[in-house]
Amino acid sequence: MKRLMIVLTVALALGGQTVALAQARPDFSGTWRLNVGKSGPNVAGNTPNIPFPSQIAVKQTPTDISVESTSVRQQPVSAVYKLDGSKVTVQTPEGISETGEAKLDGGNLLINSRRSFSSPAGDIVVEFKEVWSLTGNVLTIQKTRTQSGESTTEKSQAVYDKL
Amino acid sequence: MRINLSFAAVSLGILLAATASVQAHHSFSATYDGNKPITLRGTVTKIGWQNPHAHIYVDVKNADGKAVTWEVESAGPTALLKAGLRKEDFVGAEIIIKGFLAKDGTPTVNASSLTLVEAKKEFLTDEKTP
Repeated sequence: MKRLMIVLTVALALGGQTVALAQARPDFSGTWRLNVGKSGPNVAGNTPNIPFPSQIAVKQTPTDISVESTSVRQQPVSAVYKLDGSKVTVQTPEGISETGEAKLDGGNLLINSRRSFSSPAGDIVVEFKEVWSLTGNVLTIQKTRTQSGESTTEKSQAVYDKL
Repeated sequence: MRINLSFAAVSLGILLAATASVQAHHSFSATYDGNKPITLRGTVTKIGWQNPHAHIYVDVKNADGKAVTWEVESAGPTALLKAGLRKEDFVGAEIIIKGFLAKDGTPTVNASSLTLVEAKKEFLTDEKTP
């Protein structure tokens, strides 16, 4: 009887943790518009250090997250990431190829991607690393970009309001 | 902070977004590709010091060692001078350019930041910047 009670107690505790984890899972779904005033310096305009989209449309399911980015100065980029972190192809304008992967890490969404294109300096590969976090109806994205072969990394943070 | 010229890369991030919005007389999107950020490192060979944009010509070596001359559209002289940069600081200097590639495939970029490495004069700078 005592052993049965222990088993039941453990089972209930694990079940409770599972429910708690499910409840803590963030949902980034929605349409998000860049708030330049609350963002870091130089995230928008003609020549941002790191290009942030003006608007992001996100649809999230338990297994996937769809991200469509649009901007005045950039052509649209979209992807449906698997939340298991597997690599997917990002839909990009002609002349650019990009792959990326996403996964949830606690309350954050991590997206890493690699963009390739040709230039007069040869083939360029730029790696982007994004950390998304939610606070109510505010989405914050921290982003770094590093070009292959270069030791310097750019970092910026942008804030988005939910429409 | 004063900089040790022997070892420090004197960095001057030129925040062009604000100045460009004031000074721009043409559309960024018509000429440059916002989806193609690029970093270049090379030696300045010539500078066009005129408003609304200074044009910096930089020899950049490709992977095969062949130098290609890039034209870099930058902020105008007024903004550069405010940031402590004079025309004579550029020619012959090693420079790191971060910006966006031209759409037409030519070696042309619109700069979002300039970094003078081993500058010929001292600047106030932020060590956190490259």
